[in-house]
Amino acid sequence: MKRLLLSVSDGRGFDIALVSVPLIFLFTMAGLPLVYNIVMSFQEVDMFSLGTIFRPFVGLKNYTTLFSMPETWPILKNTALFVIASIAGQFIIGFALALFFWTNFPGASWMRGLFLVSWVMPGLVVGAIWNWILSGDFGVLNYLLRESGLITGHIFWRSDPDFSLWAVVIANIWLGISFNMILLSVGLSTIPQDLYEAAELDGANVIQRFFTITLPMMRSTIGAIISLGLIFTLQQFDLFAAITAGGPNNSSNVAQYWAWDLSFRQYDFAQGATISVIMIVFVMIASVVYVRSTRHEVRG
Amino acid sequence: MDIRKLALIGALAVASLSTLWTSARAEEVKITVWSLDRDIQPAPNLIKDFNNLKTGITVEYRQIQFDDVVSEAMRAYSTGQAPDIIAVDNPEHVLFSSRGAFLDLTDMIAQSSVIKPDNYYPGPLKSVMWKERYFGVPKATNTIALYYNKDMFRAKGLDPDKPPQTWDDLVDTARKLSDPAKNVYGITFSAKANEEGTFQFLPWAQMGGGGYDKINAPGAVKALEIWKTIIDEKLASRDTLTRSQWDSTGTFNSGNAAMAISGPWELDRMVKEAKFDWGVALLPLPETGSKRSSAMGDFNWAIFSKTQHPKEAFKVLEYFVSQDNRMFKDFGQLPARSDLAIPSTGQPLKDAALKVFQEQLQYAQPRGPHPAWPKISKAIQDAIQAALTGQMSPKEALDQADQKIKAVLG
Repeated sequence: MKRLLLSVSDGRGFDIALVSVPLIFLFTMAGLPLVYNIVMSFQEVDMFSLGTIFRPFVGLKNYTTLFSMPETWPILKNTALFVIASIAGQFIIGFALALFFWTNFPGASWMRGLFLVSWVMPGLVVGAIWNWILSGDFGVLNYLLRESGLITGHIFWRSDPDFSLWAVVIANIWLGISFNMILLSVGLSTIPQDLYEAAELDGANVIQRFFTITLPMMRSTIGAIISLGLIFTLQQFDLFAAITAGGPNNSSNVAQYWAWDLSFRQYDFAQGATISVIMIVFVMIASVVYVRSTRHEVRG
Repeated sequence: MDIRKLALIGALAVASLSTLWTSARAEEVKITVWSLDRDIQPAPNLIKDFNNLKTGITVEYRQIQFDDVVSEAMRAYSTGQAPDIIAVDNPEHVLFSSRGAFLDLTDMIAQSSVIKPDNYYPGPLKSVMWKERYFGVPKATNTIALYYNKDMFRAKGLDPDKPPQTWDDLVDTARKLSDPAKNVYGITFSAKANEEGTFQFLPWAQMGGGGYDKINAPGAVKALEIWKTIIDEKLASRDTLTRSQWDSTGTFNSGNAAMAISGPWELDRMVKEAKFDWGVALLPLPETGSKRSSAMGDFNWAIFSKTQHPKEAFKVLEYFVSQDNRMFKDFGQLPARSDLAIPSTGQPLKDAALKVFQEQLQYAQPRGPHPAWPKISKAIQDAIQAALTGQMSPKEALDQADQKIKAVLG
């Protein structure tokens, strides 16, 4: 008894008690909805059975119907394209900007702060602005491209199936650049300067220094950013709602928007939940990468 | 799950409080009404007037957002917190009535001296019916017709009093009016991949002898071919595929489109913004003498079947209906009734437009009614978009839609 008391006040029991608080919080706030969602994907759900939890069990039927739909594979392909292109764009431009501001010219930190404006803006506002920029007849982007002689006609960014997904990708890259830039700047500032000085004395040029010092030292930051980027792009919903609504003809539809469309526009909640479960799997993989990459982080 | 529970506890607390409240003053009957009307729209104002009559019935109002109407109503119904009266969008009405969520009003309507089915346009009336019984009362109605810029007609040597009558006529006129050098498209409409696309296309399919249950009828295929011609020949902007009716008609108001297909909700803005002479015509027909048809929009009133006070709730509905003659004058909405004359607004263009819309309403058809309407509508939207983007021929696209719809209809 005394040992138990001791363990609770100062020992393993105390640790467990401390850990259990956030665990309980996590379980009720994130775990339960997750489980509820997974359960729903194995049930027959309609609007009138939404309030109950015991609904007819249908096994894998929701999953088989999902994969027999003609739009499923194109939408999954769009999702993959959207995620890869967005992350690549955000990361490369963000990294370039971070390196640029790293040179610390006068006003660099001030300007870096201003970049955060795009990250602070709500997605629907960003969507509305890009909607206007990308519009086919009077859009700003078309005007710029035409005046600079790159195109002759109009590009209907939102309504041409060849461009619609890219329209959202462009807006999403713009939205995510600043976040990538800030995190990468933080990563850059943790690299000790003496490493560069030593390398310079040994005669390493800029490119060699970048690939042998900067990149390896940033490994954990980059891993974290890419997995966070994956999570954020898989969550990106507002831009789709504001710019293309998944159209035309699903050419810019992605899993997250489709799940919402099925659940709340067609009232097929089970099918919507099924797509969410498939997405959870991908986000889980990203989370594992994220946790693993931050675990190796070197704290100075 | 957690939020649901919290909401449930909250709702229970509110409910127990309100039962305490009502039992304290037992002689008053409280009726709750949910609708999407804002403070300048009918519901809250009619309720205020009704409460001032001191009939022993007090009405409480709650405004819900357009996108939340169905989900809120379902949640409320399945947790037993439903209001007494609700306003729902007409294609969604039957979703509730077919599941017994709405009260069958047929017998009460038969005895009512205020609500008479004969007074209503056939389209709106059909949308409140399920298996030959009445499950609600049309709240207001609207439809679509063809707006055209008379000044542009004159400039191109066309007779402004002879708007296009047939589909081919429409395409020809659009060709003549279209002027890319001046950024003017011949026509604008909406083929957006949501209910608006269905709303705009279905009248064309119906005029061509089709309908949602035979969407691949030859006339409907012809209609989609006409739409495709309009998009392919750039007689309308390609953004028609992603633009709402409101935004599309905006380009008409700013003089960037010579004709527009939309509804009476545009009138007030057009009177203010359009700096030219315009008119409204009935939707063009497949060929002269074809059967007319049009879309039908707006909301219906219904009483939830779980209400404690069906008689009092019906009295409230009767009061709403008795005020239908104020609908246009005070709130700019069209009552769904053919027996009411709408007084002049003092705006000649608006009055002329109203006459056309009222005539067009005679031919308005509800979407459905069918409990799985959103799925049917989705199949139609997909077909429109597949055809207009050139990924399928109109015939293939509508054949595929027909298969999907047949699967839903069973």
